[in-house]
Amino acid sequence: ALCSRLSSMRAASSCTNGQTGCHFLSLANLFDRVIQHSARMHGISNDLHSEFELYFLPSKNQIGRVSRNCHTSTILTPNGKENAQRIAREELTEVILKLLVAWREPLWHFHQNMAQHREFNNFSSNKSLEMSEMVHELRRGVQKVVEKMQMLGVINSSLGNLGSPEALLASDRAEWRLMNDYDLLYCFRRDSNKIQNYLKILKCRIIPEHGC
Amino acid sequence: PTFFCSSCQLQSATLGPHFTDCISRDQETFRCWWSPGSLQNLSSPGALRVFYLKKDSPTSAWKECPEYIHENRECFFDANHTSVWIPYCVQLRGQNVTYFNEDDCFTVENIVRPDPPVSLNWTLLNISPSGLNYDVLVSWKPPPSADVGVGWMRIEYEIQYRERNATNWEALEKQPHTQQTIYGLQIGKEYEVHIRSRMQAFVKFGEFSDSIFIEVTEIPSKDYTVPLTLVLIFGVVGVLTVIMLIVISQQQRIMMILLPPVPAPKIKGIDSELLKKGKLEELNFILNGGGVDGLPAYATDFYQEEPWVEFIEVDEEDAEGGDKEDNYNSDTQRLLGLPHRNIEGFSAISHPDDDSGRASCYDTDLPEHDTQRLMASLLPGQPEDNETCLDAPASETGEKPLIQTQIGGPQTWVNTDLYAQVSNVMPSGGVVLSPGQQPKIQENTSGSERETQKGGKQNEDVEGIKEQKRNEPQFQLFVVVPEGGGYTAENNTQQTSTPPSTSVPGAGYQTIQPQPMETKPAATGDANESPYILPEPSQPQLFTPVADYTVVQELDTHRSLLLNPPPSQSPSLCQPQHPLKVPMPVGYVTPDLLGNLTP
Repeated sequence: ALCSRLSSMRAASSCTNGQTGCHFLSLANLFDRVIQHSARMHGISNDLHSEFELYFLPSKNQIGRVSRNCHTSTILTPNGKENAQRIAREELTEVILKLLVAWREPLWHFHQNMAQHREFNNFSSNKSLEMSEMVHELRRGVQKVVEKMQMLGVINSSLGNLGSPEALLASDRAEWRLMNDYDLLYCFRRDSNKIQNYLKILKCRIIPEHGC
Repeated sequence: PTFFCSSCQLQSATLGPHFTDCISRDQETFRCWWSPGSLQNLSSPGALRVFYLKKDSPTSAWKECPEYIHENRECFFDANHTSVWIPYCVQLRGQNVTYFNEDDCFTVENIVRPDPPVSLNWTLLNISPSGLNYDVLVSWKPPPSADVGVGWMRIEYEIQYRERNATNWEALEKQPHTQQTIYGLQIGKEYEVHIRSRMQAFVKFGEFSDSIFIEVTEIPSKDYTVPLTLVLIFGVVGVLTVIMLIVISQQQRIMMILLPPVPAPKIKGIDSELLKKGKLEELNFILNGGGVDGLPAYATDFYQEEPWVEFIEVDEEDAEGGDKEDNYNSDTQRLLGLPHRNIEGFSAISHPDDDSGRASCYDTDLPEHDTQRLMASLLPGQPEDNETCLDAPASETGEKPLIQTQIGGPQTWVNTDLYAQVSNVMPSGGVVLSPGQQPKIQENTSGSERETQKGGKQNEDVEGIKEQKRNEPQFQLFVVVPEGGGYTAENNTQQTSTPPSTSVPGAGYQTIQPQPMETKPAATGDANESPYILPEPSQPQLFTPVADYTVVQELDTHRSLLLNPPPSQSPSLCQPQHPLKVPMPVGYVTPDLLGNLTP
């Protein structure tokens, strides 16, 4: 179902560069694509988390013991609907990109670790690989959306430094290694939901007439 | 299913106070319910207090429930106290006891259970051809509590349906749109449908909506379809039959429309069939505009009434051997005989017509043949009285009959005014007319005419005649009457045309002068009647010396020939000198004569 929807969106975004309405339509399509992508990513992370709980039978205290911060806790993110709507577009976009950048490497390492565990079946191993790849693709997709928005003048061009967001998280690079796998999955599940939510809010703020 | 304590209900008797559930409907607020457990003494309101910890910072502390709803044992967290993606922990505190379970920690997005959709309705999509099944489109609206418009919540729906009295529900695939089609419902059965919603990529569903009932009874459309089908079939067959009949009956016309015949080249007034049959006389007649003038009937009848034409033809075929006089006499006799026998009113031939004006120019040598007189009478409008020009040609009496050959229907000629038929046009421009001229002319032309009439004249004879005629009137008009059929082929077919040329002025046909004033009275309306001018192929040879020939100058409005004497003609020929005019051959000219016509 996702593939068909993506293909349909691909077809819908093929319009010429001569009309503003068409531009916004293509921007809406781009947004839909990245939102769908983030939704899928979140779904995979959810599945992986559930499977991890199932396999490793964590105690019921797991949730209660989630007191340690995820390595992305340092990134200030809006925690409510109103906050998300009040924040500036540029800032919201920046938050999204920061999150995506922060998770690329940890997920890759997670996949490497999971591949070695025999407890994980192939299905889960494929999911972890897919998850790590999706983070990377989603980040590129969001960057494209940002470029389009900057071209259309929807947002300012003050996000020029986002081309190399690694600089923003240079201080966080080592923190994720302290997390165990379960916590990592838990944290990524949360962050993927944030990303999905923020993208949807951003789209409905910029282009409310298309599918909000 | 409770979030916190899946086994609590089993142990509720021995378990102390605990939270039963915390739920968020819109991801902006959430509620928690607790139970005092088996310890009833804590069931009174206020005996237990709710505290929560919001782990948004390392230095966060427990806080008490912002809003109590004691009758429900519920703690409500409004939007100000609700933060998503931040872990919450709740605990119950009694007097001095704290009941805390680590399982009671959560994040708001994980406890979201959206409200069910509202405004359910269904529409019938279609019915199967068999009439047993149908498809239904169910549509609804998202729950109002969920802020879908802002994108804060992304909800997907699940439809379940079952037959009225069934126990198991059929679940369709979850999808985020607000409408969905149910296929394959059976007619006559009642179905129950309800929908529930949940957050995308999450596991917790909301409550089911109120059920709606779908039922489609049998549609008695079959009664209409059968006769309708029959009517259509018969109608189509009938229409096809009518079309076929039309096509068959109008086949020719349709073929004309679809495949119009290619027009073949045609000449106005000329029928290609005539050419094929060789009816040149008719053809010539048409060419001369006889049809236009309304004359064809007359002309054809004219010839038909004169069998002597054929008679003459026979003579032409005779060898030249016979002496001229014999031929002449024979011809004359024939000519004489015919009109008396065959032609009515030919008796009038014997009566010279005053209009003919021939008397003065008549040669006494003219035979007493009625034909001659007739011939004379055939020359209307000729001021012969004043001219003695014909005396010269009178030397040859033997040639009178030539003129007499013009007997045919003299009256007719008279009635129509005299007109002569040009039998040939000389290369020099002279025109050979058939007899019908004055006796003098006859003399002049008789020899030639005789020869021509005989047909197959040899050049020597012709020339001899020519020599004889040098002194004679300067022109000779040979009126040649074409045979009824196949004229062109024979040179011999020189037959005197019935109507003498009327354009001959005073000189008594010797010269047809372009003097409309003189010729008009007689010429009016006659030259037109000359069906055509038939130049003989052999005749040009006869008349090269010119003296006996005139040039047809032109045709007046009545198509009478206006001849001009050739320049060499002697003035004694009673021919007023006229400026030569360019001969204009008119009428029918056979192709082989074209060469001869060129001056």
